[in-house]
Amino acid sequence: MKFTITRDALIRPLQTVSGIVERRQTLPILSNILLRISGGTLTLTSTDLEIEMLAHATADKATDGDTTLPARKFLDICRALPEDAVLDVSVSGERATIRAGKSRFVLSTLPAAEFPGIEVNQKLSQLKLPQRGLRNAIARTHFAMAQQDVRYYLNGLLMELENRIIRMVATDGHRLALCETPYPNEIDKNQSLIIPRKAVLELYRLLADDDGEVEIRVGGNFIQVKTAEISFTTKLIDGRFPDYQNVIPKGGNKSVICDREALRQALSRVSILSNEKYRGVRMQFASGLMHILAHNPEQEEAEEELAIEYSGDDLEIGFNVTYLLDALSAADSERISITLTDANSSCLIQGVDDKTCRYIVMPMRL
Amino acid sequence: MNAFFASIEQRDFPRLRGKPVAVTNGLTGTCIITSSYEARAFGIKTGMRIREALQKCPKLIQRPARPEVYARISTGIMKALEAITPDLEIFSCDEAFLDVTRCQKLHGTPVRRGKMVKQIVFRASGILCSVGIAGDKTTAKFAAKLQKPNGLIVIPPWEAADRLKDVPVTQLCGIANGIGNFLAQHGVHVCGDMHKLPISILGQRFGNLGRRIWLMCQGADPDKIHTDVPAPKSMGHGKVLPPNTQDRQTLVTYLTHMSEKVGQRLRKNKMEGQEFLIGLRTLNGWIGDRFRTKVPTSDSRPILQLSQFVLTNLWKGEGIFQVQITVLDPKPRRQQMDMFEAQDEVRTQLNEVMDRVNEKYGEFTLAPGYLINRSEMPNVIAPAWKPFGHRQTI
Repeated sequence: MKFTITRDALIRPLQTVSGIVERRQTLPILSNILLRISGGTLTLTSTDLEIEMLAHATADKATDGDTTLPARKFLDICRALPEDAVLDVSVSGERATIRAGKSRFVLSTLPAAEFPGIEVNQKLSQLKLPQRGLRNAIARTHFAMAQQDVRYYLNGLLMELENRIIRMVATDGHRLALCETPYPNEIDKNQSLIIPRKAVLELYRLLADDDGEVEIRVGGNFIQVKTAEISFTTKLIDGRFPDYQNVIPKGGNKSVICDREALRQALSRVSILSNEKYRGVRMQFASGLMHILAHNPEQEEAEEELAIEYSGDDLEIGFNVTYLLDALSAADSERISITLTDANSSCLIQGVDDKTCRYIVMPMRL
Repeated sequence: MNAFFASIEQRDFPRLRGKPVAVTNGLTGTCIITSSYEARAFGIKTGMRIREALQKCPKLIQRPARPEVYARISTGIMKALEAITPDLEIFSCDEAFLDVTRCQKLHGTPVRRGKMVKQIVFRASGILCSVGIAGDKTTAKFAAKLQKPNGLIVIPPWEAADRLKDVPVTQLCGIANGIGNFLAQHGVHVCGDMHKLPISILGQRFGNLGRRIWLMCQGADPDKIHTDVPAPKSMGHGKVLPPNTQDRQTLVTYLTHMSEKVGQRLRKNKMEGQEFLIGLRTLNGWIGDRFRTKVPTSDSRPILQLSQFVLTNLWKGEGIFQVQITVLDPKPRRQQMDMFEAQDEVRTQLNEVMDRVNEKYGEFTLAPGYLINRSEMPNVIAPAWKPFGHRQTI
């Protein structure tokens, strides 16, 4: 196997696929990436046995074949070469030689046949989405995913495919984020899948904020996302997501409307003096006015006052300020509405001009 | 205090006075917790086994520890010391630091102040103590150890560096083998060597603790008096079993006992935990691991479920010598509410009633049925015991 490629053409796809290679491995081949040349196209593949990522690049003077190279070393070499460098890669036996200008590197290889792949030949359903739409939906929900929760099914993002709607839901039990994206076409069968946390974060990094299309293929235990440049496959979490519909508050009778950015800034100022570990803030709602208070173990205090649209009874309620800030940063609306019931019930945060996303935060006992 | 537990025994039982006394955990305990000065003259040390001690001193009198009494007396002493100054750090059940900077005018010369402390302690407890007075905590602790029993040593701040000059660094509180070896590698054996070593070397290796040690050895410990008990990093209870226990039911009883103790202690301190360390000690080390409950808890039942998991999945019938259950990183109780896990109201109320009964009538007056056959091994008072906060436990 042999090919010539410019550093410029190689480095982006190489960086992309290297993202999922774990630093420490039990199987040596998992620290390698698979290189395959076929008809002048170089395909790079990486895997961590859960996620598989493919990217393509165009090579010159190529002879078909495949091999695997240590991902990090190969990437570090490419990075360190001058920007206009041209790489000559040739594999013979268990060694790969890379030449570029006056530099020469010899890397050890592992047989391509041993490179593990993810089986995807099951019954598939397919759909096409604008890249921006998918990226947006992830951006506005992924922060609420749990991290290493015992309830393993929370360590991921729920994706529900329904007729004309794609719904993303993430929750860690303390707060929940839900985003609905319209889908123009019919979906033959309602589906619900949980994408693991690492795959969600990786996918979010990969998707561009542009009008290009992504092709999504869903099988029994995997989801595949294809853009023009990459193909991304991940296994799914096999579990039952909790009934989130049940926790969306319905009878909230206290409705507050205020400026999103003003509230966000007030909260982030108050948060400086909240307890670093528990992040609790006290919110007092009164007719037309909101007070936000925080204090820390050193008895230092912060207080903010904010004009709001509210005419209900007075209410005092505690929240983890981080959860509120996350929700406010994700809600895409100039003004937001907060619906409350009492100090022991969850609150619903929603953009006034944007009903596609809903955020639910459970209170803290004061 | 001087041989605190042994002194209390001698105070309460006149026939023990002037005799070699060793305190052990009940009469079944074989390890010496502390011994009287008469016993120490025979070379008896804390941690020694009774059998070995009897060879050195055949007339040694073994006394079972009475942790509740020691705790009560310690609390009394610490309360009384507040009459001198509220800037009081309770360092252990028989050691305290008093910062008298703010009441110098009130109490007069250091010697007069020292005598006052000794008097107050004697009046509160009927036993003697040693007092060290200095410009910083480490030098004061060093001074208190210089003359025992019943000592009073003053080291003025301007003499501290000189007085510590020839003292081996490992004799200072806070420098044990780890840091001691590091210092020895850098040619620092006595405190007087320290000034030759740049502070940055210690800072790089041990961070702020290293910088403190550098200052400490030169009689300028910057550490302040800590008047509050810092939040716990973990709370645990363990027990030694009849050697080589292989009976599952016995193990369950011990683990229930420890789960119950951890749960009670969490509840008493209005805390809860989610990560628990469950350990069974075999001849070849510990079996067990860290486990997480679904949501933070202070109920013994989910903790016991984790223990049962260890017994079912990790224990292969090996002989067990000791069990341990520790909650890691406990947090104040139930602040953040969860959407999917409603609190078990019945268990909460049950625990509340049980805690109130036991508060009034003594530990385990009301307890799960499993505990009828629990270990009769008495409770032990830990060196880190404090008269309030989460360390107030035996």
